[in-house]
Amino acid sequence: MATDTGLESLVDQTISVITNDGRNIVGVLRGFDQATNLILDESHERVYSTKAGVEQVVLGLNIIRGDNIGVVGELDEELDSNLDLSSLRAHPLKAVQH
Amino acid sequence: MYLANLWFAWQLPLSLLKTAQGHPMLVELKNGETYNGHLVNCDTWMNIHLREVICTSKDGDRFWRMPECYIRGNTIKYLRVPDEVIDKVQEETVKRSDRRPTVGGRGRGRGRGEEGGRGGGGRGGRGGYQEDTGGGGRGGARGAGARGSGRSGGGRAGAGRARG
Amino acid sequence: MTLSSLHTIHHGRKETVLDLSKFVDKGVSVKLTGGREVTGTLKGYDQLLNLVLDEAVENLRDQDDPLKTTDQTRPLGLIVCRGTAVMLVAPTDGTEEIPNPFLQPESVAT
Repeated sequence: MATDTGLESLVDQTISVITNDGRNIVGVLRGFDQATNLILDESHERVYSTKAGVEQVVLGLNIIRGDNIGVVGELDEELDSNLDLSSLRAHPLKAVQH
Repeated sequence: MYLANLWFAWQLPLSLLKTAQGHPMLVELKNGETYNGHLVNCDTWMNIHLREVICTSKDGDRFWRMPECYIRGNTIKYLRVPDEVIDKVQEETVKRSDRRPTVGGRGRGRGRGEEGGRGGGGRGGRGGYQEDTGGGGRGGARGAGARGSGRSGGGRAGAGRARG
Repeated sequence: MTLSSLHTIHHGRKETVLDLSKFVDKGVSVKLTGGREVTGTLKGYDQLLNLVLDEAVENLRDQDDPLKTTDQTRPLGLIVCRGTAVMLVAPTDGTEEIPNPFLQPESVAT
């Protein structure tokens, strides 16, 4: 079941995922497969806006299909906890253009 | 149990899905439509068969009820499964590892073993699945705030995801 | 005949998730990649999910907003839906548009 995606080292860690529709989902990686389908546990979506702070939408346990994944990144939890999301303003990402 | 968890600490998404059979779930398709229903069956292509389905349009302003539907795997964006399913899949893998203790899986320990099971606290309050038909006995942190988490009412459009 | 031959091709080599045999001669609604939606009577199918629909009708979409389906339809007659384009299959029997079922006592106000 060897995979060379390097995701193995991220299992049980908090990761940040950008999906093709421009969403940012943060959660604990519980599993993955060759197609980069991911199991994200205790996940939430971060909704960015220029008018209000970052809204966090609780999603819980999630299977994200690999097709729909743009970026997977490790989340530095210490750095992240120092972020003041409520005062953070940002443009939402646009969806991928196919 | 602890060791077994270390070895089998991660699952395959499709195994999790298989374990979720019979559970309510929310499926979002690539076109933005969502389907809430109970998983009847799934296969290795992620094709799924749902029962007692409520379909929500992309904008979250129209709704359809359908007794069942079949969804092709490659049209799926993501699936939201009840939290308890991952505990279930863990039990099952542990059982499996009891039968053939050291087969495979080794070398996957990542030196992160502080937490054997899953910390219970801080969860709940999730919506996203309909809990309509006799959900007796499943209980859990669903129900009230169905589809809560800010994406209220009109469905997903609520949570400020209206873009562009 | 094409229909019956297509029908008999089905033998579930790799068993599909959904047993379409119970939908044969019943109304089904099919969503296709690209956004088209067709309803018709299922006459046949194969393991690749190619479907034969009789008396098929396309549910037309709003010209300005292709996301929205309208009540307008367009008769297509006897058609084959290519399996690779099939996104979703559901029986028409029991399928109905309903008011928002998620408007329950909401705790969170946005």
